[in-house]
Amino acid sequence: MDDLQLRLIKCFAAVFPDLSEDQIRKASPYAVTTWDSVATLNLLMVIQEEFGVEFNPEDIEHLTSYEEILDCLTAKRS
Amino acid sequence: MKLIEALEILKKATAEQRGQLKVQLVCGFTPLHLQTFLNAHLHLQFPDQKIEIETGLYGDFVGNIERLEQADADSAAAVLEWADLDPRLGIRQLGGWGPKELADILEGVSSRLERLRAGITRTEAAGKPSLALSLPTLPLPPLAITAGWQASQFELELRERLAGFGAWAVKRENVRMVSAGRLDQLSPAPDRLDVKSELLSGFPYKLSHAAILGQLLANLIRNPSPQKGLITDLDDTLWSGLLGEVGIDGISWDLDHGAQIHGLYQQLLRALAEEGVLIAATSKNDPAVVDEAFRKAGLILPRERIFPMEVHWNRKSESVTRILQAWNIGADSVVMVDDSAMELADVKRAHPQIECFQFPKDNSEAAYALLWKLRDLFGKSAVREEDKIRLETIRRAAGSAAFKPGMEAESSDSFLEQAEAELTLSFRKDPPDPRALELVNKTNQFNLNGRRYTEAAWRDYLKSPDVFLLIAAYQDKYGPLGKISVIAGRKHPATLQVDVWVMSCRAFSRRIEHRCLEQLFKKFDVQEIAFDFAVTPKNGPFRDFLCSFQDGNSRGSVSFARDLFIPKCPPLFQGVKEIGHG
Repeated sequence: MDDLQLRLIKCFAAVFPDLSEDQIRKASPYAVTTWDSVATLNLLMVIQEEFGVEFNPEDIEHLTSYEEILDCLTAKRS
Repeated sequence: MKLIEALEILKKATAEQRGQLKVQLVCGFTPLHLQTFLNAHLHLQFPDQKIEIETGLYGDFVGNIERLEQADADSAAAVLEWADLDPRLGIRQLGGWGPKELADILEGVSSRLERLRAGITRTEAAGKPSLALSLPTLPLPPLAITAGWQASQFELELRERLAGFGAWAVKRENVRMVSAGRLDQLSPAPDRLDVKSELLSGFPYKLSHAAILGQLLANLIRNPSPQKGLITDLDDTLWSGLLGEVGIDGISWDLDHGAQIHGLYQQLLRALAEEGVLIAATSKNDPAVVDEAFRKAGLILPRERIFPMEVHWNRKSESVTRILQAWNIGADSVVMVDDSAMELADVKRAHPQIECFQFPKDNSEAAYALLWKLRDLFGKSAVREEDKIRLETIRRAAGSAAFKPGMEAESSDSFLEQAEAELTLSFRKDPPDPRALELVNKTNQFNLNGRRYTEAAWRDYLKSPDVFLLIAAYQDKYGPLGKISVIAGRKHPATLQVDVWVMSCRAFSRRIEHRCLEQLFKKFDVQEIAFDFAVTPKNGPFRDFLCSFQDGNSRGSVSFARDLFIPKCPPLFQGVKEIGHG
């Protein structure tokens, strides 16, 4: 697992402390009952702070799962 | 603190929590990350408490303050922003910024500030939670007619009204306010407003600003007890120069000699002394020369404000031991300042609990920062009568062999008899006297069990109708000691249960504790008093008091029967006056 994934999992774990690593990889608002609008704001702020990136309002609409956030971060870093 | 760190603190904060602290977060915006940071900082400040934060209605700051009167909270943190005083002062409403609107905005702000005054007055009258208040921290939007670099009449009038409200609010007993100056240092103005977040989610702060604000609010809610004493070096600390080498004319503390930072240090120490902080000096010097320097040189910190003065060639750690004995306070309540790292190391080795600071004599910036550090350590909300007389009391006690513990009973009797002492007892619980909690939370030696209370817990405890509170003040012909003892407990049909009993170390050896106990038997007409006693590392004097009436080692709940106490009680000479009930 690369450093980016490790740090992203740490961000998810801070916002969703009850999820295991496996559950985080499959996380989405449908799969995680505590993933509401406040959790989204928390999660995206934590990720922005951790990775020094900024998400646009257009990005945010699509950032609704671990996979999508990982893809977005990978794209921003490349 | 980063947001992820705050979340991790909250994640870990589930174990080992004994009490609960309920905090009402009052703001008009979405509390979001401010709530997270406040929660995390409160966990750091109150590690053994379960923190619960309640929030009010979005967009209704004034109403949320008004509802505090009914809130079931231990403390409140209120974060006011311009938009709470008029939505047109924010960026989420489009009510108009034209010249015609400005007068209406000013009027509306005045009327909302009036409502806030009324709401805060009602919470104060209802004995409701202490309020940590932050006045607007965000920049105003571009609504005034001037260019951004020019101050407008509108903005100045707006700030004048807010300043008037702030000056009124800090005079309330239950309000403590975030310092705008400290906030400016820690969170510079341009780094506060997050326009995107405000427009997107209604949360107006950048994360760094929310973190700092949460930290300052948590500090205000905790309201730590100030340190009690400061021990200072003289050469190259209180003044510039080595007195023994340059003589009285060679030492300096002013601009002309490039030594102003020493003058500022003296000025701060003088202010601290006037606020009730004990100031002592220790110096490796010729005592006669030091005496002469204080007589002739006209120092800003006068000689009479310093006690004790330990000037000789022996080790400073020994001086500090004697100073602590004269003050009769613990090393953990004391700060030492000296320019020599070696002297500080010697003191630290002998008294590890003393907080030591090296005076950076060649670095004005660092020395000025030290002045602020000292202000933080000794800061308090108000100067009370007891603060003003503390030094005189200690000086008298040290100078008078009559009050020394362990003296022969007979000579003690004769001294106490002629002292014309009077004890004033107050059983008034409402409104709460802040001095009572202050004594409970800072007294170590004559302390029944060492239990500390938050303001909210103390208020809740006193609220119970069966709980009594006794505050004792003492004076004799040598002067007043002020309020020096607090006893609280519960009245049962045949017995009295004492949960709290503290007495200032300044009041030792006057048999005040005996008189208080006698008065409790008398006032409540009981045959037995039970004490919720616990041994602490420092409450030896209380243990000795118990042992004088009981055989063996006292621990846990201890009871005194009236018919056992009376024959063992030594002669008491104080007059007793009772004031106030309820």
